[in-house]
Amino acid sequence: MPEIGRLAICLALLCAAFSVGASLTGALRRRRDFVRAGEHAAYATFALVVLAAGILLQALLTHDFSLEYVAAYSSSTLPTNYTVAALWGGQKGSLLFWAFMLTLFTTIVQWQNRERNRELMPYVTATLMIVAVFFLGLVTFITDPFERLPVPAMEGADLNPLLQNYWMMIHPPSLYTGYVSASVPFAFGMAALATGRLGDQWIRSTRRWALFSWFFLSLGNLFGAMWAYEVLGWGGYWAWDPVENAAFMPWLVSTAYLHSVMIQEKKDMLRVWNMVLVLLTFTLTIFGTFLTRSGVISSVHSFTQSGLGPFFIGFLILVLLVAGGLVAYRLPELRTTGTIESFLSREAAFLFNNLILVGIAFAVFWGTVFPVLSEWVRGVKITVGPPFFNRVNAPLGVALLFLMGVGPVIAWRRATPKNLWRAFAFPVGSGLAAAVVLPLVGVPFGYAYATFAIGVFVMGTIVQEFWRGMRARQALLTESAPRALARVVGKNRRRYGGYVIHVGIVMMFVGIASSSMFRVEAQQTLAAGQEMTAGRYTLRFERIENHEDGHMASSAAVMSVFRDGVQIDTLKPEKRFYKKPKQPTTEVANRSTLREDLYLVLGSYDPQTKLATILAYVNPLVVWIWIGGLVLAMGTAIAVWPTAAERRAEVAVPGAVPAE
Amino acid sequence: MRLVLLFLLLGAAPVLAAPTQQEIEESLTCQCGCGLTVHSCNHIQCGSGEPMKKEIAERLARNETKEQILAAFTQRMGEKVLSSPTMQGFNWFAWVTPFAALLVAGTILTIVVRRRAVATAAALPPPAAGPPSTDPLRAQLARELAELDRES
Repeated sequence: MPEIGRLAICLALLCAAFSVGASLTGALRRRRDFVRAGEHAAYATFALVVLAAGILLQALLTHDFSLEYVAAYSSSTLPTNYTVAALWGGQKGSLLFWAFMLTLFTTIVQWQNRERNRELMPYVTATLMIVAVFFLGLVTFITDPFERLPVPAMEGADLNPLLQNYWMMIHPPSLYTGYVSASVPFAFGMAALATGRLGDQWIRSTRRWALFSWFFLSLGNLFGAMWAYEVLGWGGYWAWDPVENAAFMPWLVSTAYLHSVMIQEKKDMLRVWNMVLVLLTFTLTIFGTFLTRSGVISSVHSFTQSGLGPFFIGFLILVLLVAGGLVAYRLPELRTTGTIESFLSREAAFLFNNLILVGIAFAVFWGTVFPVLSEWVRGVKITVGPPFFNRVNAPLGVALLFLMGVGPVIAWRRATPKNLWRAFAFPVGSGLAAAVVLPLVGVPFGYAYATFAIGVFVMGTIVQEFWRGMRARQALLTESAPRALARVVGKNRRRYGGYVIHVGIVMMFVGIASSSMFRVEAQQTLAAGQEMTAGRYTLRFERIENHEDGHMASSAAVMSVFRDGVQIDTLKPEKRFYKKPKQPTTEVANRSTLREDLYLVLGSYDPQTKLATILAYVNPLVVWIWIGGLVLAMGTAIAVWPTAAERRAEVAVPGAVPAE
Repeated sequence: MRLVLLFLLLGAAPVLAAPTQQEIEESLTCQCGCGLTVHSCNHIQCGSGEPMKKEIAERLARNETKEQILAAFTQRMGEKVLSSPTMQGFNWFAWVTPFAALLVAGTILTIVVRRRAVATAAALPPPAAGPPSTDPLRAQLARELAELDRES
């Protein structure tokens, strides 16, 4: 069977290459038959990749240790769910998974557009398949997942214990989904450049894909943070690790695009900028993939170093040259007569919002690559760690939060004093009230203080918009408040979905600021029966519980948690010792409430002295980061759901293609 | 942009209190490969982090300043032991470039917007004086356009 998988990959590569050739030939010579052949070849590529991935998955599930990949990343004692996760847990499997998702999305795009965008589609297919050729080429020639061992292994080496975690089941697929689907807007952008159809067509056709990609990048970043928080056991969820940065940068640029594209749709401005943002988002996803696989930058998240780096660099250069060349070629046509009339306008607020988002992305990029630069220029190794990123990005983050409040409610074109008063009186009043109250409840001046006050300002703008929308409808139609609110949202899904997303973002900002600035830490070595204090909690070490099975051995410290003299919980921070990789891991015991997390780590335990070292962290408001993620998901669902008109159109004409 | 600069200054404000163990630990990178600061590394009996913590405590007990302590580690282990670049020499580029890029981009944006706004204003013909009787209609049209802009 692995031989069939290998053959499937080779055939997939050939089909993808044929698809590129046929699509481009069909487009240039206006031959419909070639265009269709290109699309059919893309479908065939997908089918073959599915076959290959299925065979690899089967090999994992049946423990075929004659395959190097299976032997390296799984074992006969690995639980089934983690065995499935091994499909993307290693270098070779993850690249095959990339190819699978890319060809899946290509199939969906072609199906969606089988009767639409016909002039764009050959170039869309060609672009997506060029990316597929790149990844399938790597899988075929460089990182063959079906490579056999000279002598089959008796047992597998097991998946890295750090990856044997619930979040690692869903974090990579989420991130990959976001990464790979960024190829779709990119492909349409390239098609627009190639055909000269530079109006809104390509943007409207990819609106939901851009939001889809952004959403999964959001999830990918959040799940990664949750994994780090739960697994790495250092008390935090984000360490500005290069791989984390690689996932964050395309999210930032994608966010900028989702905002600036609204300016193009409404004012026919920023065409060049939007095109650049789409190209940049895609480029950053390739760069991010490069970072995790090249060994150029060390990271706890990296795959084992391999020879893939130069190929990714070459592909990046190719993409930048072709895309940049096309943009330059079409520059005269991309320019528009639209202009920003005033800095006190929605257009200007969105523009500065974009400037800051891209600025943060650049700062993250710069900090990530600067160690490499330093070594090249000075021959001196340096580290650019959390203190740099926190210091550079904190002020930009606060400015971004502020613009999040200004942009949605300031007037288009030019705001008059009357407009400004009407739009901002309540939100600014709310923010100022918060600014007065916060010090009274003990919040010291600083970034957290600024975040909280501006957060209230932003929430004020959002509440005001919902209120005014509801009241306007009630004034016209005499509806109940809930009904009016539901109808207003239903008729303006993108707008109100966006507001809900902003609510989620504010929650995350507040959670991040609180847990960063006001964390309480305590560390103590305890004998049985001894106590320590952390924040409002008293912790008593009761005993050690040991457990062992064929897969691992563990030691857990049983900790009684008291507050105001009353026991409220029992937590068991744990050390695990996995047997096959012979690697210890830390299992955190975390008690989450809306107010704060009590986060316990077993630092060490000495069986001789029976002393346990316990690290305790009290992290305020962390749960609001995750709640913010949920709210963001709800907002995205609202924004992306088809409107009633779209649904009616779909029903009225059986088999009709959705409007998007 | 003033807001950005203001918060940058706030963030860069010098610490007035004596240096703490945690503060110095967070200024140094654990060399075990975890990618975290010495303070955050939680590896069991880490061969790098634990000795560094111990040495920091000893040096603090001898009333050494933060700068002296960091210099001692840098001399022995190289600049890579610092968790963020120094603000000297080539390392200035690490700190300055992001904000410089933002300022340059913001300035260009400002100039372009102002120039185009002026050009647009100059290109527009002066509005013709209409009959007074159309004023109510004009006002109504303006209100409707404003509402349309606000709703969209």
